[in-house]
Amino acid sequence: MDKHFPNSYRKGRNYDWLSDSGAANKIQDLILEAMACVYIPVQNSEEEVRVALDQLPRDATDILDILKAEQAPLDLWLIIAREYFKQGKIEQFRQILEEGSSPEIDEYYADVRYERIAILNALGAYYSYLGKIETKQREKEEHFILATQYYNKASRIDMHEPSTWVGKGNHNELFWHWIVSQLLLAKGDVDQAFAAFKIVLDGDRDNIPALLGQACVEFNRGKYSSSLEMYKLDPENVEALVALGIVDLQSNEASGIRGATEKMQRAFDVYPYCATALNYLANHFFFTGQHFLVEQLTETALAATTHGSTRAHSYYNLARSYHSKGDYEKAGLYYMASAVAHIYLQLNQTTKAHEALRKAIRIDPRDPEAFLDLGELLISTDSGAALDAFKTARNLLKKANEEVSIEILNNIGVLHFERGEFELAQQTFKEALGDGIWLKLIDSEPQSNSIGESYSDPIRKALYQPMESSLAARVYKDMQLFHNLEKDGIAVELPWDKITTLSNLARLFEQLHKTETASILYRLILFKFPEYVDAYLRLAAIAKARNNVPLSIELIRDALEVDDKNPDALCMLGDLELKNDDWVKAKDTFRAAKDASNGKDSYATLCLGNWNYFAAVRSEKRAPKLEATHLEKAKELYTKHDKGILSNHGSPIAWHMRSLRCSVFTKWHKFRASFSLEDKVSDVINNGEWRWPQAWLDSQPTLTYVIVPTLLEIPRPDSPDMANWSRSQSEMFGGSSWWKAQKSCTPMVLVEHPANMYAANGAGVVLAEKGQFDVAKELFTQVQEAASGSVFVQMPDVWINLAHVHFAQGNFALAIKMYQNCLRKFYYNTDSQILLYLARTHYEAEQWQDCKKTLLKAIHLAPSNYTLRFDTGVALQKFSASTLQKTKRTVDEVRATVAELKNAVRLFSQLSAASNLQFHGFDEKKIETHVGYCKHLLEAAKVHCDAAELEDQQNKHRQELARQAAIREEESRLAEEQKKVKLEKRKQEDELKKVMQQEQHLERIKEHWKSSSGSKRKDRAQAEDEEGAQGERRRRKSNKKRKRDKKAETHMDDQEETEEDNTNTNYYEPENQVNDQVDDDDDNPQDLLAAAGLEDSDLDDDAAAPSSNTGRRIRGWSESDEDEPEKRQRSSSPVRDNSVEMQLSDGE
Amino acid sequence: MKLAWLRSLETSHHDCVWACTWLPATDKSSGLLLTGSLDETVKLWNPDDLSLVRTNTGHCLGVVSVAAHPSGKIAASASMDSFVRVFDVESNNTIATLEAPPSEVWQMQFDPRGTTLAVAGGSSASVKLWDTAEWKLIAALSIPRPEGSKPSDKGNNKKFVLSVAWSPSGRQLACGSMDGSISVFDVQRAKFLHHLEGHTMPVRSLAYSPLDPRVLVSGSDDERIHMYDAEGKTLCSSMSGHSSWVLSVDVSPDGAAIASGSSDRTVKLWDPKMRAAVQTMTNHTDQVWGVKFEGGARGSLLASVSDDKSISLYNYS
Repeated sequence: MDKHFPNSYRKGRNYDWLSDSGAANKIQDLILEAMACVYIPVQNSEEEVRVALDQLPRDATDILDILKAEQAPLDLWLIIAREYFKQGKIEQFRQILEEGSSPEIDEYYADVRYERIAILNALGAYYSYLGKIETKQREKEEHFILATQYYNKASRIDMHEPSTWVGKGNHNELFWHWIVSQLLLAKGDVDQAFAAFKIVLDGDRDNIPALLGQACVEFNRGKYSSSLEMYKLDPENVEALVALGIVDLQSNEASGIRGATEKMQRAFDVYPYCATALNYLANHFFFTGQHFLVEQLTETALAATTHGSTRAHSYYNLARSYHSKGDYEKAGLYYMASAVAHIYLQLNQTTKAHEALRKAIRIDPRDPEAFLDLGELLISTDSGAALDAFKTARNLLKKANEEVSIEILNNIGVLHFERGEFELAQQTFKEALGDGIWLKLIDSEPQSNSIGESYSDPIRKALYQPMESSLAARVYKDMQLFHNLEKDGIAVELPWDKITTLSNLARLFEQLHKTETASILYRLILFKFPEYVDAYLRLAAIAKARNNVPLSIELIRDALEVDDKNPDALCMLGDLELKNDDWVKAKDTFRAAKDASNGKDSYATLCLGNWNYFAAVRSEKRAPKLEATHLEKAKELYTKHDKGILSNHGSPIAWHMRSLRCSVFTKWHKFRASFSLEDKVSDVINNGEWRWPQAWLDSQPTLTYVIVPTLLEIPRPDSPDMANWSRSQSEMFGGSSWWKAQKSCTPMVLVEHPANMYAANGAGVVLAEKGQFDVAKELFTQVQEAASGSVFVQMPDVWINLAHVHFAQGNFALAIKMYQNCLRKFYYNTDSQILLYLARTHYEAEQWQDCKKTLLKAIHLAPSNYTLRFDTGVALQKFSASTLQKTKRTVDEVRATVAELKNAVRLFSQLSAASNLQFHGFDEKKIETHVGYCKHLLEAAKVHCDAAELEDQQNKHRQELARQAAIREEESRLAEEQKKVKLEKRKQEDELKKVMQQEQHLERIKEHWKSSSGSKRKDRAQAEDEEGAQGERRRRKSNKKRKRDKKAETHMDDQEETEEDNTNTNYYEPENQVNDQVDDDDDNPQDLLAAAGLEDSDLDDDAAAPSSNTGRRIRGWSESDEDEPEKRQRSSSPVRDNSVEMQLSDGE
Repeated sequence: MKLAWLRSLETSHHDCVWACTWLPATDKSSGLLLTGSLDETVKLWNPDDLSLVRTNTGHCLGVVSVAAHPSGKIAASASMDSFVRVFDVESNNTIATLEAPPSEVWQMQFDPRGTTLAVAGGSSASVKLWDTAEWKLIAALSIPRPEGSKPSDKGNNKKFVLSVAWSPSGRQLACGSMDGSISVFDVQRAKFLHHLEGHTMPVRSLAYSPLDPRVLVSGSDDERIHMYDAEGKTLCSSMSGHSSWVLSVDVSPDGAAIASGSSDRTVKLWDPKMRAAVQTMTNHTDQVWGVKFEGGARGSLLASVSDDKSISLYNYS
C-alpha cells in the first residue's frame, strides 16, 4: 500500500476537486492511516476526547452526543462514520452521516461547505451503492431516489459557485463512489470494492486515483508480490519481449505457450504497463482459468493505454472472464465498458444492457468481437438476436479475411438447432468441422445392397457391411469399425477442438432421427477420446430410447469407469435400474449420485425423491405408515427440485384400474387466489421464499412447509438438453456447463430454465398431492408456457399433470382436451398410458362409447397389456349396468347393452382362460366374479331386451294406429273447414246485399231531403263537406283495407293458403265486408245526423271544443293527403280508429 | 422410384382404419381393396374411384387385421374379440369363424398357394396355422422359450406374437414379437429355425421381398426398418428416419422399394440400396396403420390407411 498510495495521491493532485480543499488530503490520509483512535477537541479547552476507533460504542447516539456537544469538525464525523462502516455497522454509519447532514448541522456549520458536501455525497454514494446491489426493483429505485436527493442537496450547498459544482458534480459523485469503495476495501470486501471502483472508472475513464485504487485492490489480493521482487531485474526491451511472446503464442504449442507466457511475464515485470503484454497474459490466465489474474492484468492494461483496440481487448478479456465465471453483472459491466461508459447491466436491466451494447456496436459496426460479445450475452434471452449478432461477426471476420473460429460457427449452429432450423444447423456444424473422417462417415452412401456382396471402399464396408443379427443389439458399443478402418489404411483422426461441435452434430442427427449416423459420430469421439463421458451417456440414452436396457446400462458403466462419481451417469443408471424393477439397487445408485455431488446435484436429489415417491405409490399393500414415510421423504426431496422419473408420468393420480380408485379425488374446495395466470414463478418464489397469498396460507398451512425449489440445475443426461456451447478450450470437456451459466444471468425468471421447470413441475405435483389443485394448476400452466418454444425442452409431464388437475377438479372436458393434445403433441398418439387416463376421464364423464373406443385404441397400441382388456370389460359392464338402471331407455340402447355385455363376458372369459397360463397377474376368482356378474346382467338385459322389443313393437303399433287416426281427423277437419268457409261466404254475401240496400235507402233519403228543403248556405256547405268527408272516409277505408290485406297475407302465408287465395281473388273478402259493415254502421248514424244538420255530435272526439271543431276538421282534412291516412285518422276520429284496430287484431 | 398421390377418401370408416389388403382380381371382379376399422366394419373398395363396394358388419371390438386369399375369392378379417371371420368375397357369406382360445388374434396372412392361413397368436407365443380346405387348426408354430426360463415364468408373455409373413415360396414363415425379436420357422417341418435380433421394441409388421426370398423387411416401434437376410441371420441394414413407431411395411412388387407407414403420420418410400427414405407422404393426419402394394396386374398401386379414418392411394413407379 505504501508503495502505491503516495503515488496516487500525487497524481490525484492534478484534479481540481482534490486541490479544492485540504479535506481531501485529510480524508485520504485518514483512510490510509491505520488509525487506532481519533481525538475530539473539547470546546473551549485544549483537551481532547480520545475515541478508540476499534471500541466505538454500539449505540452511535453516544458518539453523536459527543460530536454535537463538542461541535467537532465535520471531518471527524466522517472518520467515525467510516469506521463504523468498516466494522460493518452500517446502521451507525448511516446514523452519523444522516445526523451530520441534518438541518441543525447545516445551520451550525453553514460555512463549512466542503465537509457538508462530503457527508451528503457519502450518503449519496452509499445509497446509490445500495441501489446498485439491490435486486428488488422497488427498493432499488427507493435507494436511487434517496441518493439523488442527497446529491441534489449537496449541489445546492454552494450556490455561489454553481458552475464549479455543476461541472464537477459528476466528479464529486465519483469521488464518493471512490470513497465508498475504499471503505469497502477497508472492510475487506474486495470484490465489492472492485465493483465500486469500476463505477468511478465508468464515470471518468481517466480517473487515475481510481485506477490505482484498483491496483490497490489487486495489491490487497496479494498478486503483486512476485512482481516486486522481479522489479529489481535488469530491464529488457519490452516490445521485443512482447513480440516474441506473440510469436510463441501463435505457434500454438504447449511449449510455445509456456514460452510466451514467460516472455510476457518478463515484459510485464520490466514494464508493468505494457498493455499488449498484459492483455496476452490475461488471455493466458483466462484459458488457465485464473480469472482473478485476468481481471488484475486487464485492469492495469486499461489504465496504461488509450489505444482503442488494445483497450477493447482488455475490456473483452475482463468481460469474458466474468462471463465465463457466470458473473453476468460484472461481465455486462465490462462489455458495456468496452463500448460506452454507461452502466445498465444490473440484474434487472439486461434489456437496457443489450440496448447499450447494441448502441455500442452501432458506434463501431466493424468490430466482430463486440458482436460476439453481444451474441453471447443475448443467447440466454433472445436467441434470434444472438444469431444475428454471431452471423454479423462471422461476416465481418470473413470480410476481413480472418479465420472464422470453430467456436463461432459452433454457436451459430447451436442457435439454429435451438430454433429448429435443422438444415442450417447441419450446414453450420459441417462448416465448423471442416474436412475429416466424420464427413466421410456422414456422407458416404451405399452403392450396392446385394446380400453377400462385400464393399471395396473401406468406409462403406465399415458402415454398411451386414452384421450378424445377434450382434445388432450391441452396435452402440462397436468400435471394431474404426479399427477396421485403420487396418484398411484410413486415418481415423479427430482434433480435440472439434469434439464439442462433432457431438453437437451428432445430437442434431439424433433430433433428425438419423440415429445410426449419430451413434457412429459418438463412437468416433469415444474411439479417439474414451474419456468423453457425454458421448457414452448419449449412446446410453439412444439405447434406452430403443428399450435396450442392458446395453444402456453397459454404456453407463463405461462412463462410470471414466468418472465413477459422475452424477448424471449414476442417475441414469438408477433410472434404468428402476425400469428393471431393481428397487434396492436403484436406491443405492441414487444415493451414490447424491453423495457424489455432495448433495448439490439437484437431479440426484430428485431421483432419490422419486425413488421414495415410487416406493410409496408402488407399495401394493399400501401399508399406510410406510407409505406416509415414503411420501413425506419424497416430498422433502422433490420440492427441492423435481424432474426425472416422475416424468414417466408418475402422476399423483395414476390410475389403478384394478381397483378402480376413481373416487379418490373429489371436487376440491377452491381457494381464492390473488395470483393470476400472467404471474411468473418469480412471483411465486422470491428471494428463496414462496410468496403464497395469505389466503392460501390461512386455508392450507402446509404450504409453509413446502420446500422452495432452488435454482440449481444439472442437465439431465437422457433429456435432450445437451447441446454444448464452446466458449473456450478450457471448457471443452465441460460441454454442459453452458446451461449452468444461464442461471446467474436470469435468476429471477425461474421457469425459463429447464431445471427450474422440472422443479416447478415437481412442486406442482406435490401441491396437487396435497389437494392444492388451483395452485398446482398455476405452476403447471407456467411450466407449460415456459416449456413451449424450445426444441430441447420437452415436458409432456406437465401437460399430463395439468390434465390430472382438471380431472381431479371434475373438469372432464378440459382434461380430455389436455390429454388428447399431449398425446398428439408429444407421443404421436402412441402412449397407451395416457390413453388410459383419457379413458378414465371418459368413464367418469359417463361417455361410454368414447371410453370403450379409447381403451380399444390402447389395446391396439399395447396388445400385451391385459390390464387394458380388463378395464375395457369393466367399462362395458358399467355402461350396461347404468343403462339397465335407467328408467327410460330405447330398445336400441338395450340392444347395445346386450351386445356390450356379450363383449364384456368374452373379454373376462378370455382373461380368465389366460390367467391359467399366467399371462397376467389378475386374480382368477375376481375375473370369474366379473364374468358371473356380466352374465347375470346379460340375463337381465335379455329380459329387458325382450320387454323393450315387445314394448317397441307395441309402441310401433300404437303409433301406427295413432297416425292413421290423425290422418282421418285431419281429413274431416279439412272438410269441415271448407264447409265453414262456404257458409260464411254465403252469409257475407247476404250481408253485403243488406248493406247495399241500406246505402241505396240512404241515398234515397238524402235525395229526398235535398230536394224537399231550400236549405241554408251553411247547411249546404256542411252537407258538401260531409260529402267530402264521406269520400275521404271511403278512401281511408280502402287504405285500411289494403293495410289489413297486407297483415292478413303475412299471417296466412302457410296456414291458410286457401283463404289467402280467396282474399286475392275476391277483393271484397267476407271479413272486410263485415268490417265495412261495422264501419258503415258506425258512420251511418253520423251521416244521417250530418245530413240532418246536427253534425256537432258527441260522437266526435273533439267534443270539448265544439265551436272550433268544424274548422279544425276542415283544416285537418285539407292538410292531410292520401299518403298519411293514419294521421288523418288520428286527427279525425281516434275512437273509431281504435275500434278498427281492435277488430283488426281480433281478425288476426 | 417414386410415389404419386392419386386419391384419398376422407371418412372411409367411422373410426380409425387399422388394416388393409388387396384382393387379387378374379374372373368376376377386378382387384378390390379391403379395409378393417375400429368401427367394427370391414369394407371393400373399388380402387378406381374409391367407391364403396360393400360393408361387412358383425365384428366386435374393432377389426385389427384383414387377409386376402390368393384366389381373390375368399378373405378373412379378425377383431379384438379374437374371432376370425372367413367370408366369401362376392356373396359375403361366412365360410368359417375361427378361434383358438385363449390366444388372441393379431396379424394374419394366407400362404402364397392359398392352402394355409397363418394367424399371429399374441400371448400364446405361437402362430396358428389353419387349413383352408376344412378350416381346421393344423398346427401351432411355437416360439421356443428362452433357455433357462421356467414354464411358470411370467416373462413368457414377452414373446407376444404380433405380426406374421410368409416367404414367397411358402416354405418359410416369420413372426414378429413384442420384445423385438423375429422368429423364423420351417413350415413344412413345423420347426423353429432361428431368431433375428436387432429390434428392441415390438415388431408390428413383416414383409418378404417378392423377388429375393431371403430378404425380410421388418418395422418396429423402435422407429427402425430392418432388412434381414432371413437365412443368413444377418442384419443387412437398419434404416432410421421415422420419428415414431413404424407400424407397417411392405415391399414393392418389383422388390426395388419399401413402403412404410408410421405413427409419425407419414408414409415413406425407401430405397434399400441407398438405405434411405427417398420420399415422404404427409397426407395423413394421424397414425398410418397399414401400407400395402397391389401385388397383381395393377402392380403400381399403393394403399395406406390411417387413424384419421381415411384411405389414400398412390401410384408407384
